[in-house]
Amino acid sequence: MKNEKEIKQFVKDRYASIASNEDSCCSCCNCNTGIVEHAKSIGYSEAEIRNIPDGAVMGLGCGNPTALAELKAGETVLDLGSGGGVDVFLAAQKVGENGNVIGVDMTSEMLEKARENVKVGNYKNVEFRAGEIENLPVEDNSIDVVISNCVVNLSPDKLATYKEVFRVLKPDGRVLISDIVTEGELPEDIRQSFDSWTECIAGALETQEYLDTITKAGFRDVTIVAKHPFCEPGMDDRLAGKITSIQVQAYK
Amino acid sequence: MDILACPICKGDLELNVTEETDEIITGTLYCGKCDEYYPIEDGIPNMLPPDLRE
Repeated sequence: MKNEKEIKQFVKDRYASIASNEDSCCSCCNCNTGIVEHAKSIGYSEAEIRNIPDGAVMGLGCGNPTALAELKAGETVLDLGSGGGVDVFLAAQKVGENGNVIGVDMTSEMLEKARENVKVGNYKNVEFRAGEIENLPVEDNSIDVVISNCVVNLSPDKLATYKEVFRVLKPDGRVLISDIVTEGELPEDIRQSFDSWTECIAGALETQEYLDTITKAGFRDVTIVAKHPFCEPGMDDRLAGKITSIQVQAYK
Repeated sequence: MDILACPICKGDLELNVTEETDEIITGTLYCGKCDEYYPIEDGIPNMLPPDLRE
């Protein structure tokens, strides 16, 4: 098992360089078809992408959590690993002016980008904080819905993350999280690779282990509401059929 | 800002504003229990543990 601190620093550095455009091709982006096409392929509609600032859509992620979260006007939403802010801004439109959306990310370059996008979109009901998802800087029982898009797999301690999510949710609060899970054994060299970890593969759990982790954190009615095979150009052939994107719902 | 909590003890924070427009731009959040300051810069509270801060 890798050192948790090393993993975190590696993930932080990688996503800082993606935010600064030094890293032209990220794990979850298909350079050949472009960012917008890729965003559509993982579940965003053309209208959704057109209605938020361009800089927010970075071609990252493996689903569209706000599409399935059934957000209501006035709700308080927390996005784990908010990046350029795409899901924060989509959620902000759904919860309206009486709602509130908070994005937490540990990469300052991503937060700067998100903040620029707040100005471009003139959003009044969003805020961003630098923070770790394993140690959320959020009060107990204060959030209606937690969303996240292809981020929890990057955490070296997923149980700690889901326990924190449970803590900050109000009673009966819910999560709608898009994430990567694996089926069967992955080759050892891939499991051990830092690059593969930042590409959302090496840190991913097997499906049952992932669902059990959420249950262990205290959640009830843990359900996969959608899933599809996850495959990227240039992905190692040995991973064929073993990587799945799931959308998980659960209640406190 | 009102549902911010210390990431270590999850307790309340004391806000100190140095620059403010229609939102808080610069300042600090202080946790008395942990004796830890969290800076607010460019409108973003930095709630990372000290060892992960830049």
